[in-house]
Amino acid sequence: MKLGRNLYAIVTGIVAFSLLAAGLAECQQSGIAAAWQNGRGALRIITYYAGAVGVIWLGWCWVRLARAITSIARRLRTEQAPHFESEANPVINELTGAINYCLEGDSKLIGQLQEQVKDLQIQTQLSERQKRNTEAIIYSLRDAVIVVDEFDRLLMANEAAGRLFNFDFKSARHKAVGELIDASKSEFVDLMRQSRQSKVEAKRCQLEFTDEAGPKTFDCIVSCVHDQNQAVCGLVAVLHDVTREKEISRMKNDFVSHVSHELKTPLASITAYSEMLVDGEADDDQTRKEFYSVIQNQATRLNRLIEDILNISRIESGLTKIEKKPVSLTILIEEQLQMIRNYAEEKNIEVVTQKPIVYDQVYADKDMISQVIVNLLSNAVKYTPSGGTVKVEIVVDEIARVAQVTVTDTGVGIPRDEIEHVFDKFYRVGANKSQAKGTGLGLNLVKQIIEKVHGGRVFVVSEPGVGSTFGFEVPLATRGAVKVV
Amino acid sequence: MATKKVLVADDEVHIIHVVAIKLRNNGYEVITADNGAEAFALACEEKPDIVVTDYQMPRMTGLELVERLRQCEQTKDVPVIMLTARNFAISQQQQEELQISECISKPFSPKELLGNIEDVLHQQAVNQAI
Repeated sequence: MKLGRNLYAIVTGIVAFSLLAAGLAECQQSGIAAAWQNGRGALRIITYYAGAVGVIWLGWCWVRLARAITSIARRLRTEQAPHFESEANPVINELTGAINYCLEGDSKLIGQLQEQVKDLQIQTQLSERQKRNTEAIIYSLRDAVIVVDEFDRLLMANEAAGRLFNFDFKSARHKAVGELIDASKSEFVDLMRQSRQSKVEAKRCQLEFTDEAGPKTFDCIVSCVHDQNQAVCGLVAVLHDVTREKEISRMKNDFVSHVSHELKTPLASITAYSEMLVDGEADDDQTRKEFYSVIQNQATRLNRLIEDILNISRIESGLTKIEKKPVSLTILIEEQLQMIRNYAEEKNIEVVTQKPIVYDQVYADKDMISQVIVNLLSNAVKYTPSGGTVKVEIVVDEIARVAQVTVTDTGVGIPRDEIEHVFDKFYRVGANKSQAKGTGLGLNLVKQIIEKVHGGRVFVVSEPGVGSTFGFEVPLATRGAVKVV
Repeated sequence: MATKKVLVADDEVHIIHVVAIKLRNNGYEVITADNGAEAFALACEEKPDIVVTDYQMPRMTGLELVERLRQCEQTKDVPVIMLTARNFAISQQQQEELQISECISKPFSPKELLGNIEDVLHQQAVNQAI
């Protein structure tokens, strides 16, 4: 610009100089007086000089304008406020005024554009951050998440989805899900296809897949992603593993079913016998007595059953009040033996005890451990035929700091395939069921009290036709606690 | 009219006892079993006119017992009344397939059970007459 301006000044100078020279030459050629007398000569001289002055003025104006334009350009480049001070010359003022007017309009537009650019940059940063947050959430989810585009090509999948469908997301990206997912899980691909076709917001169903760990159930939700024309441009699928929930629900239903069966059985006897009495079906006193006795026994059974269910439920839910203090196992066993001895004598069963001489105090809830001992003793006597023996032993292991109580009988024993279930709720050994009455909850209560309340363990060893040994192990109390309860 | 023979199968001795008394007091001959396997053997041997069985029994459940009865030539047409303490344990389809005449929930009334036995035997007599 500067070069152009200088070049123009030089050209202007040359032209002006030429005109002045021409004017002088005209004066010299005919003399000034003659030239004035000759009207045409005077006009030429005036024209030459006026032309020279005009060229010089135009040159000066152009240089000023060029400077103004240069300044504008500089200011635009440096992003300064594009307002230009006018010079004294009115033409320049007019020109610069017009330019300023245009530039002020442009500068507003530029300012708006600059702000929009800044807004867009901020929005882009926020979107990026949101995208990263969403990705972090999706990747950290334990549920499997899969996102596909309008052509069912994989856009996003988290680790859980990769594990479930056995693919690596990085290498699987942009591949069709139909190719990625194994034929055994084609139900899921079908569900996505149906969702796309139906165009509904979300489709939900339960799918069952089987892998090395066994069958697993998933609660699957497939949602359509719509574009501005309401066309489906993608799908998001979330698969939540509900195998455990289903198992818990099944166990709960089984428990309710068991409880209702166990409660209804004694209730059926009570209802039937009382109706027979009311209807006068018991002919004589002896029959009536027998009926009353059945009703009483079944009511007791019902009460025991309810107590056992409530005790187990309280222990499982942690609501039971536990009062642990140092107690002597020998004393507790002696107390419970007093209660069971008459029953054993009726059945002609000998009860033998082996008491330890050493310190046998355990830190326990006295009532609960008493319940454990009486359950094990009564079971042993119940399933031992007449003439048999029940032996109670206490073994103290000072090194391991545990006390072990075992109750060994010479009873019917438990078949090998049933032994692992004997501590289960409501489980009763099929072959021995007719031998004695029971709720199927006694041993489960033993397990709950020992393992859940006292941090010990229960065990059983048995041989059908020879007998069984049921036992438990609980931690010893510290020697400082000497008060025997 | 000849005395009708009823086989009562239940692992609860008190239930067997009370049903037996009710039926005997009303002129029926009663045979009993405390498990499914014994009940099946007894049914084949004694050919009862009707079987009253519990759903849940050791060695062979009530349903298994009925399946075996339907497979055996001698007992395939014997009417069966099922007692159950588990509601919805038997579906309508199972009941129809195994031709179980009635399903009675525990606790039950011995009087109503007697009424059901009479109805089923009467229906069977009508069917045979036709």
